[in-house]
Amino acid sequence: MGLSYQLSNGDTSMQRSYLRHALLVILFAVLAGILAACGGAARTPTAVPVERTVVVERTVVVAQTVEVPHEVVVTPTPAPQAAGAKIVLRVGTGDSGEGLTPHLKIIEQFEKDNPDIQVQLEPVGSGDYYTRILIQIAAGDPPDILQIGDDAVPNFVGKGAFVDLAPFITSKENPLDTSIYLPGVLEPGQWGGKQYLLPKDFSPLAVYYNKKIFDKYKIPYPKDGWTWDDFLKTAQALTKDTNGDGKTDVWGVQLPGPWTTGFEYWVAAAGGRLISADGSTFTGYLDSPETTKAVQFYADLYNKYKVAPPPADLNAFGGGNSEFDSGKAALRLFGRWPQSGLKTNPNIDLGVVGPPAGVKRANVLFWGGFGISAISKNQPAAWRFLRYYVGAQGAEVWKNWALPTVKSVAEASGQASDPIEGVWIGELNHLAPRAYISTPYWGATADPALRKVLEQVIIDPATDVAAALKTATQDAQKALAEQK
Amino acid sequence: MRRYGIVGRALALALLFVVAALFLIPLLWMISSSLKPDYEIFAVPPQLIPNPPRWANYSEALTFLPFGRYTLNTLVISAVTIVGHLLSCTVVAYAFARLRAPGRDALFLVVLATMMLPYPVTMVPLYILFRALGWINTFLPLTVPAFFGSPLYIFLLRQFFLTLPTDLEDAARIDGANTAQIIWHVILPLSRPALATVAIFTFQASWNDFLAPLIYLQNPQNYTVTLGLQFFRTSYTTNWGYLMAAALITMLPVVIVFLLAQRLFIEGIAMTGGKG
Amino acid sequence: MPRLSASRREALTFYLCISPWLAGLLLFVLGPMLVSLGISFTRWDLLSPPIFVGLRNYERMLGDPLFWQALKVTATYTLLYVPTELVGGLALALLMNQRIPGIVVFRTIFYLPSVISGVAFVVVWMWIFHPEAGLLNVALAQIGVVGPRWLTDPHTALSALWMMSLWGLGRAAVIYLAGLKGVPKELHEAAIIDGANPWQVFRYVTIPLITPTIFFNLVLSMIATFQTFTSAFVATNGGPLDSTLFFVLYLYRQAFERFSMGYAAALAWVLLLIILALTLLVVRFADRWVYYEGTRR
Repeated sequence: MGLSYQLSNGDTSMQRSYLRHALLVILFAVLAGILAACGGAARTPTAVPVERTVVVERTVVVAQTVEVPHEVVVTPTPAPQAAGAKIVLRVGTGDSGEGLTPHLKIIEQFEKDNPDIQVQLEPVGSGDYYTRILIQIAAGDPPDILQIGDDAVPNFVGKGAFVDLAPFITSKENPLDTSIYLPGVLEPGQWGGKQYLLPKDFSPLAVYYNKKIFDKYKIPYPKDGWTWDDFLKTAQALTKDTNGDGKTDVWGVQLPGPWTTGFEYWVAAAGGRLISADGSTFTGYLDSPETTKAVQFYADLYNKYKVAPPPADLNAFGGGNSEFDSGKAALRLFGRWPQSGLKTNPNIDLGVVGPPAGVKRANVLFWGGFGISAISKNQPAAWRFLRYYVGAQGAEVWKNWALPTVKSVAEASGQASDPIEGVWIGELNHLAPRAYISTPYWGATADPALRKVLEQVIIDPATDVAAALKTATQDAQKALAEQK
Repeated sequence: MRRYGIVGRALALALLFVVAALFLIPLLWMISSSLKPDYEIFAVPPQLIPNPPRWANYSEALTFLPFGRYTLNTLVISAVTIVGHLLSCTVVAYAFARLRAPGRDALFLVVLATMMLPYPVTMVPLYILFRALGWINTFLPLTVPAFFGSPLYIFLLRQFFLTLPTDLEDAARIDGANTAQIIWHVILPLSRPALATVAIFTFQASWNDFLAPLIYLQNPQNYTVTLGLQFFRTSYTTNWGYLMAAALITMLPVVIVFLLAQRLFIEGIAMTGGKG
Repeated sequence: MPRLSASRREALTFYLCISPWLAGLLLFVLGPMLVSLGISFTRWDLLSPPIFVGLRNYERMLGDPLFWQALKVTATYTLLYVPTELVGGLALALLMNQRIPGIVVFRTIFYLPSVISGVAFVVVWMWIFHPEAGLLNVALAQIGVVGPRWLTDPHTALSALWMMSLWGLGRAAVIYLAGLKGVPKELHEAAIIDGANPWQVFRYVTIPLITPTIFFNLVLSMIATFQTFTSAFVATNGGPLDSTLFFVLYLYRQAFERFSMGYAAALAWVLLLIILALTLLVVRFADRWVYYEGTRR
């Protein structure tokens, strides 16, 4: 006996539904075809007018006692290769978007000069980049060359993820003259006195200003060497309610909200530090009068003088805070990363000046660099690429996308004397040490505590700054004790 | 069709329009943002209609990265995963729904439990496993597990099978059909709505899957669409315009699959056999 | 000649049928799960070999204020979201179930948002919640209400995320729709012939027959909501003041930002046990309210 179960609908509706099915499938195929056609030449994307430079920065923390930086002595064992086979180098980077163009360009040039090597770039947007490389390292499978940010250095290097580059730098076949670099850009790649990473790009802080707004209200442009007082006065002069509705329409300055690592500039400019030099205590530093003064001034800019707009969201990066971008704020304190977009923004006539001095002039450096993985099997080949990537030849390409790290390139390209780029390079002379250098536990202890304080003073104008800092210091100290 | 009265139906219709409008508004904003240069997106006061619309966002976003390639990759992965799920989950779900065996209910709880462990934690052991198998940088870690059943769809199909009256199966068993025949001839034809749902959801999940492609795919040539999308979000800035444009375009295949599959259960399939 | 009894045969068939799942379980699930349990007894930064520390991680959890905060945030959010998904999803499905021409368009509109890739989805809502330029506050201003600062206000941030998640109701609604479609029309018609009004038909015919679907969505919702991650990660990163510190976000941070993979594994297992307990509760009491028409039990 057969089993037959029929559809109750008539034939015509079946035909109609088949027709509709067919139409949709055709539509689908056409769409897929368009996308496939669009995707065409993948390797070297055309340069897009808006450029971005990205420095991979992540607040990372160690939850484990680091006694001695692991000395990983590796005798490079090149992967055995058949005659004529290419060495494949894997390079991991946290850059994304248009920031990949310089990478690909350098790779193309290098491969032409070194036909025995093929370089495979493995990019991941920085938020997830660390997730991926950590898993790869844990499984023993990382790329040969890895990019990391400044505050990741203590952890990664301290745990032996990178090789000491000294033997390569001083080697006879492929040496690298490290004096070619600008001041201050080699240090973040060092740990325990040894060089593990070479600089890819860097950015100190500076103050962008919109000449259009200054011209409109006939305020003189800020000058290099200006003070917090000048800063405040300028911002106040440019905070305006233009239509009389009680709401500010033009703001003096867009501040980066509760961004902790950027805040280190304020503390340094106030003459303070956030942690003792030996990294053992926050008490007396995180709650010092200088730090209190810095936080109070920052909070006052938001709440008392009201020259800074309250943030729309608390992401300093990639968030929705766009007063400066829309031409609604006269000043902006930040790093160099959004600069290319700002230059092409019709709302802005861009000028850049160094951050104002408190009791002294100060700045902090943000940085990203490349190093060779300790378990890479292609270290000599990796070194050949690395010195090209971040050496003088690479810098020639980088200079169109970011500040070159090599002195001669910066000068030859005119960037050192450019009214805008020159400011960034000039700020390299006023760097204060970052807090993470003093302790690998910065990210787990004081960073969240400081962030809480900053969030609090922004959200709640009535916050007692000194008390909040005292609590933060206690929390940080307690967390530090737990790490040991 | 006059069951519910004119007023009732008018009310339902009005509600439909209102809710649809609410759902549409953010979507309209997405479309609007996808046609603006970045500095205009958060402008105050907000402007719904971009002036002039920046169509270049679309061409630039899609050509900057090989989205065509990514789409192809993702389509392949999704298609294979759908097949895997339909094959494996149907059989397993039928067993849980209709067959009696010792330990069945406990095993079903295990099915549920496997959905409860957060991914970040099994990522590392899984990666090591796949590395040992040599599957890293291939599509295998993303597709092969689908042929071993997925707890979500096993659960879904089991629930659905439980709603089917047993008369037809009993009749088929009396006729001497074995389990495979029952599944093929009785259950599957009646399960079109549920199977369509499984297909839609599998496609969507596979299309939007991010963590697995992130760690298993190394060569950018193998990347999927979601990996491509996150390129627009660097650590310091977000290319809003590109992100919206790319997100909208890459959403279309899923919508099309939805349209295709939802027609499978729109036509009422009445059961003609076995009505007692 | 020995022959397997019918029940034995049935049991054998059962295990044969689920063998793919069993195999996958052993290969891809149990193994990694057990390994992650092992990791939870170690201190591991992923960069150097793990170090055995016994129950240290679990002890640390008890005294960790952020752990309790994360639990509180996640539990609150789940309590908020799961009921609204149930009611809202079902309501939406009813709307989608109307037989009018062009209903496909509406179905697509409702389902579309749940298909949008995570980051883009959240980003759209970050704009909507923008205190000055955002659609929500601008709309509220039209009726004279000053909207709160949403994502930067610790009192409203979580509610904002909840509102945002409602845009994704389409996914649950589609499942309810499939369930509704499985209710035989004859039963509806029979009830109406017997004199029932629409509400009674719904309450006494439709709902009982879709309780399996409700059960499904309820369990799924609970499991998924406890593991919320992307919205918090992209929109607020746990802030402000940890008011949106979801559990899996905290876990992820420990694993990949704080180099505490061992602690993260311990957190994951605690989460698993909590979800398991809750699910057991729901399953245990399911018999009381879930009606399966075709059950041989």
